[in-house]
Amino acid sequence: MSYFTLTRRHVLMGLAATTALPNVTFAQSADPVPGGTLKISHSTRIATLNPLTLSGPAEYPCIDMLYSRLTRIGLDSQPHPDLAESWDASEDATEFTYHLREGVTFHDGSPLTADDVVATYEAILNPDIAASATSVLDMIESVEAVDDLTVRFTLSAPFADLPFSTAHANACIISRAALEGDLTALETQVNGTGPFKLETYDSARIVRLVKNEDYFVPGKPYLDAVEMMLFPDLAAETANFLSGTTDVMLTVQQADYERIAGSAGIDALRVPSGRYVNIVMRQDAEPWNDVRVRQALAKAVDRQLLVDIILEGLGRPAYDSIVAPEIQFATEKPVIEYDPEGARALLAEAGYPDGIDLTLVASDRPAIRSQTAIALQQTAAAAGFNLEIETMPHDTYLANVWMQGPFYIGYWGMQPTIDATYNLLLTSNASYEDSAWKNEEFDALIEAGRSTTDEAERARIYAEAQAMELADVPYIVPFFEDVLTASSTGTNAWEVAPISRYYYIENVWLEG
Amino acid sequence: MRRILSSPNGIAGSVLLLIVFAIALFGPWLAPYDPQLFHAQNRLEGPSLQHLLGTDQYGRDLLSRVLNGAPTTVLFGLGATALGVGVGSIIGVIAGVAGGRTDGVIMRILDGMLAMPELLFTLLIVTFLGGGTGQALLAVAVTFTPGMARVARSSVLSVRTREYVLAAVARGESRAWIVFREVLPNAIGPIIVEATIRVSFAIMIGATLGFLGLGAQPPSTEWGLMVSEARQFMFRNPWCVAIPGLAIAMTAMGFNLFGDALRDAFDPKRSHG
Repeated sequence: MSYFTLTRRHVLMGLAATTALPNVTFAQSADPVPGGTLKISHSTRIATLNPLTLSGPAEYPCIDMLYSRLTRIGLDSQPHPDLAESWDASEDATEFTYHLREGVTFHDGSPLTADDVVATYEAILNPDIAASATSVLDMIESVEAVDDLTVRFTLSAPFADLPFSTAHANACIISRAALEGDLTALETQVNGTGPFKLETYDSARIVRLVKNEDYFVPGKPYLDAVEMMLFPDLAAETANFLSGTTDVMLTVQQADYERIAGSAGIDALRVPSGRYVNIVMRQDAEPWNDVRVRQALAKAVDRQLLVDIILEGLGRPAYDSIVAPEIQFATEKPVIEYDPEGARALLAEAGYPDGIDLTLVASDRPAIRSQTAIALQQTAAAAGFNLEIETMPHDTYLANVWMQGPFYIGYWGMQPTIDATYNLLLTSNASYEDSAWKNEEFDALIEAGRSTTDEAERARIYAEAQAMELADVPYIVPFFEDVLTASSTGTNAWEVAPISRYYYIENVWLEG
Repeated sequence: MRRILSSPNGIAGSVLLLIVFAIALFGPWLAPYDPQLFHAQNRLEGPSLQHLLGTDQYGRDLLSRVLNGAPTTVLFGLGATALGVGVGSIIGVIAGVAGGRTDGVIMRILDGMLAMPELLFTLLIVTFLGGGTGQALLAVAVTFTPGMARVARSSVLSVRTREYVLAAVARGESRAWIVFREVLPNAIGPIIVEATIRVSFAIMIGATLGFLGLGAQPPSTEWGLMVSEARQFMFRNPWCVAIPGLAIAMTAMGFNLFGDALRDAFDPKRSHG
């Protein structure tokens, strides 16, 4: 792993769009066979299909099949062309021009034009309309259709990562007609430009999608239909998958992974990802205002043990940075060894020679939070941290502890960029700032990082920001969790991006 | 007591209860390991000399955890029943003694509550109050109240018209005196029998709530929670589900058999009928 990911293609030079494929294809032993129905099992409800707001783990693959975005994140965690064939940015990263594909039509046959893109982004930016993508797109001042196939974004502040933002899972392009109609209709009806069309939507049982014959990538999708089948019971889901009733198990639990991967006729897929647990230590009060106490706890975490026990080895130890190695400009983090003696010495130096009693709060959902708390209690005890664990219902946690309490366990998904990662949690005006770190120098670096399009300069800036994060330990990040999924061996090209919201099901094909 | 021990059910129940109470009282001291201590090298193992009942997903000793969880689990059953029986009996006695319109109103309300299946009703209350041991205990107690009130009332009604009560009324005794000295002592038998059997239900409902994540919370060693936490690992080590499950079953069976024997003892006609 290199220190800087300089070799990666320049984000803004998305002009390498000569291939129409939105993601990297890999070598296949045989030519894809068209036809067949792919059955995907999932354990969470598809409660809505509204692409502006949905956030369910089984809802993302649905909109990934039904809609298209201007850009799409590939398996390499970089933005690739989707509806936009190419894009270019002004030098100061305040003006972006996207060039749309020709001849794209919505599922109802009407053509996609720049006007639909403008309407979509106006809706996302409209404060009266709930939209999840707003937070990564709020620097957009205006969107205009230059001609039928060209859209220009003018930004209020420089933002070099716009191609990542336009690939946001919830930034699906919707027709102007649909947006001007009743917005609640988006929950159950779909008129997108994606490779599949909606046929049946029954949120309690099955969502069936059929092939879009007019998909803008010729020859794709290969499948005739995709069925998303809901199994509220994990044991039933696993049994059906292993018996061959379903072709793909969307999410595999760590505890079941080995058993499923070892079964005949199954290809289990393990994608290193940037999902993490973070231990929040609010710095505006004792004892966490002393960096030595935070460093002591960092040394008191047996990271490999946590990976082995909680993740069943299906993850990687992390060393107190929320920036995953997959993210562009991520630096290599020095290993923090489990060192209870050193931790005890640091604690003593900070004024706690006899150890320290603390209450660690963990919400009961998902179980990984309380599991981390239980394991941390064990490994930190040797260093003089006497942790009492308080497990509470998730709603109580959200209302009383989250973003207020001094010491609790957070759990976050992977963000596409370093800017998005830090602006979610660590900058002074981050969306969910809960560490009370508030470092102006750090804020200035993040601000500088988004205002230049010079790769080398950005790499330098972000390296400095990550070094500051490591030095001050605003969070303890013990591990990054892998994304786990599985498919039958007859299912080819089943892939999941590390940021598990993109699935490329148009490439999937079934054997015989 | 001799009558209880005269039936095989009674003996089995008494022995089981003795074991359960002994474990509940001394279990935490008997445990060979700290119930929260990880043995990372020996995760999900079956019984061995080192870990007599095997280990769970964190490598914690199952025997130590079951022993440590006994007081929580048994006290939960006893506490919830005591509360439910106490409140239920008071309501039942008031209804039974007062009679007439008061009786009618109270009983119709209780009938409404009884119409709901016990577990569903408990779940409803816990969902409303939020999870946690205290809330779960309260929920079970509330669920038990209407049933206990009915038992208490019928028992009071059967006693109320007996000659010794009528005699007390004729003597001009005060109402409170009649209730506490004449009615209650003679009506208490069925209430105690019902209460004993209900302890087993309380333990099972408590374990169910723990299993559903609505009762005790990790890292508690409550038995239902242990089953729930280990369920994911059932295929890799059946012991970590079987052991706490078995413990719940044994305790519930103990209270049930003892309650049965107790009922037979109070009502000789049925034991030979």
